[in-house]
Amino acid sequence: MRLSLHTAPEVPLETDCLCPDQLLGKSAKEIAKLLVFHGNQRAELGEFFHIQEGAQNGTVTVEGDLAKVKQVGAGMSDGKLRIVGNVGAHLGAEMRGGEIVVEGSAGDWVGREMRGGRITILGDAGHLVGSAVRGAAVGMTGGEIFILGSAKNEVGNGMRRGLIAIAGDSGDFTGVNLKAGTVVVLGNLGLRSGAGMVRGTILSTQPAELLPTFCYDTTYRPPIVRTLLLYLRRQGFTIEDVYINGPYRRFSGDAIELNKGEILLYAG
Amino acid sequence: MSEANTIKNAVCTFCGCVCDDIELVVAPDGKSITRAGNACELGRAWFLEHKVEDYPVALIDGQETSLEEAIEAAAEILVKAKFPAVYGLSDTTCEAQKEAVAIADFLNGNIDTTTSVCHGPSGMAFQGIGESTASLGEIKNRADFILYWGGNPVEAHPRHFERYSFKAEGKYLPQGRAARTVVVVDVRKTKSAQEADIFLQVKPGCDFEVLWALRALVRGRFVDASIEERTGISMEVLKDLVERMKACRFGVIFFGMGLSMTRGRHFNVAALLALATDLNQFTHFVANPVRGHGNVTGADNVVSWQTGYPFGVNFNRGYPRFNPGEFTTVDVLARGEADALLVVASDPAANFPRKAIEHLHRIPVITLDPKPTRTSQIAKVAFTVAPYGVSVGGTVYRMDNVALPLRPAIKSPYPSDEEILRRLKEKILELKGIKRQAA
Ligand code: SF4
Repeated sequence: MRLSLHTAPEVPLETDCLCPDQLLGKSAKEIAKLLVFHGNQRAELGEFFHIQEGAQNGTVTVEGDLAKVKQVGAGMSDGKLRIVGNVGAHLGAEMRGGEIVVEGSAGDWVGREMRGGRITILGDAGHLVGSAVRGAAVGMTGGEIFILGSAKNEVGNGMRRGLIAIAGDSGDFTGVNLKAGTVVVLGNLGLRSGAGMVRGTILSTQPAELLPTFCYDTTYRPPIVRTLLLYLRRQGFTIEDVYINGPYRRFSGDAIELNKGEILLYAG
Repeated sequence: MSEANTIKNAVCTFCGCVCDDIELVVAPDGKSITRAGNACELGRAWFLEHKVEDYPVALIDGQETSLEEAIEAAAEILVKAKFPAVYGLSDTTCEAQKEAVAIADFLNGNIDTTTSVCHGPSGMAFQGIGESTASLGEIKNRADFILYWGGNPVEAHPRHFERYSFKAEGKYLPQGRAARTVVVVDVRKTKSAQEADIFLQVKPGCDFEVLWALRALVRGRFVDASIEERTGISMEVLKDLVERMKACRFGVIFFGMGLSMTRGRHFNVAALLALATDLNQFTHFVANPVRGHGNVTGADNVVSWQTGYPFGVNFNRGYPRFNPGEFTTVDVLARGEADALLVVASDPAANFPRKAIEHLHRIPVITLDPKPTRTSQIAKVAFTVAPYGVSVGGTVYRMDNVALPLRPAIKSPYPSDEEILRRLKEKILELKGIKRQAA
């Protein structure tokens, strides 16, 4: 099935229905009638998208500049959603399963409070990837987010389980308040990574300045790093052998909290 | 009016101190204020500069028009918009703020206040960490340890020291200044810093690291020795400060925009609030923001009371949603999302980032302000209103959430924000065909 944007929204368009769970098994006519919010107006999906029924192979392709389209794939539990173009905020929010691939860049809050499934962004992502909503303590609790470009601040804020991998740089407060789970940044970490982290792992292949509440433990070659990075390589990340084999310096923190989190920095 | 008229205990709304002991003397013609006793320099200038002037009461596209026509034009713009946004609100009464929230609600629009560009991060931190707080009266009477972080009251809130803080004589601290320890933390030696017993000069952009180290020391945890090189503050100084904080009987940290608007923003404030919370293991400790605009605290209170959230609230889907970064005005403008803007008592065209201002030029803007502003000059509809506090009564909130009634001194020929907003609301209801049950 293929949806292509024919009318660009003037103001943000919220389309919780752009999600394989709600689209697959419906006719083009039924889909065109699905409710969306264009700013403060109720509208129908068909006012913005052409819908083309295709082979029912479980994949929905959406084309066009969706930068003003929010909540795409929110709550998704199954199937595959492919987006050709940029996409707005809250992509795959509270997603439980299935897969989203964005052939472009995404806005803020990618995979916010995600519980399962996988999101891959070929371009960049905004702030708060895989994080909690404001006022909540727990972010992502499962699944995988792969970003082949860079991400901005607060990656994995409050994350409890799952994997976030970023090929480029991340902004400040990467892995802030991390409860558990893994954040891999192959580029540079911003400032104050892991502030308030309780458990979990943040790994970077580049040098980084850490908070004064992180304490150096040792330099070693943990087998898990090799396993993890080889896995990421299979998912399309370019990772040099030195990083896969190389020694890593381990810092534990955040001392203000439990001190059971770790930051691993490549020590080549 | 032939005799000079004096108003005692008038309230100054120029800054968040909201001093309520001002003595105003009104000129015999009733058109200006000739003396503002007790006020500081800023407050004096604020009262004395208000003269009854003759701008048109309303303009559409820069052309003078009647109030009715302008209200109708404004209501039509807002009802037609798909993403109408309401912004400003920090320099008006709570009564007007309440009408503005109602307008945003009926329009299913967006509402945000200037809090989002000053202490918005503090609002987010309060939500995340909680707030251990006290009224300024309590601080004046009890606080024997006073720390200012990232603020310069001598220049921005001139009477803060003498009315609410260390220069005041406290009920339980009759020796006043001598009984209190005063610490200032800032990136440069400000005039306020010169009054302190201890001044910590932090390298710019390192507030979070210093706060984090202080938290760790209070909790008896590890702090890396590199702290001095990183932040400019030595471990000895930090340890000494922690001991003083733990040993005091009632401690307070006042924090300003030097903390909330520098790199780290809400995390900086969250770290400071968490520090105050940590210190409550040892003694009584509170943290209070030092707010700028006269009634910005009222804006937080009114918007919270009506929507559940302090700023950055969106009603597009019929119920309030809060998300700073998504629904804050700077962001909805910079991303080109809002398609109409109602500005009450603020001048975004003068102080927003360039991208946001560019969008302001593309959409219809409606302004309410006592004086022409940059924003009113590009506005589709501009109303001239009576200045609050000087000519309009009502309620304002001091920075410690204490409500105070205004005592206006001179009559203005212009309507108040509240009146225009109420009439605008009625017009919007009429256009949308919403009927409300009589109370
Ligand atoms: S300190 Fe602030 S409120 Fe008090 S008189 Fe001065 S400007 Fe007015």
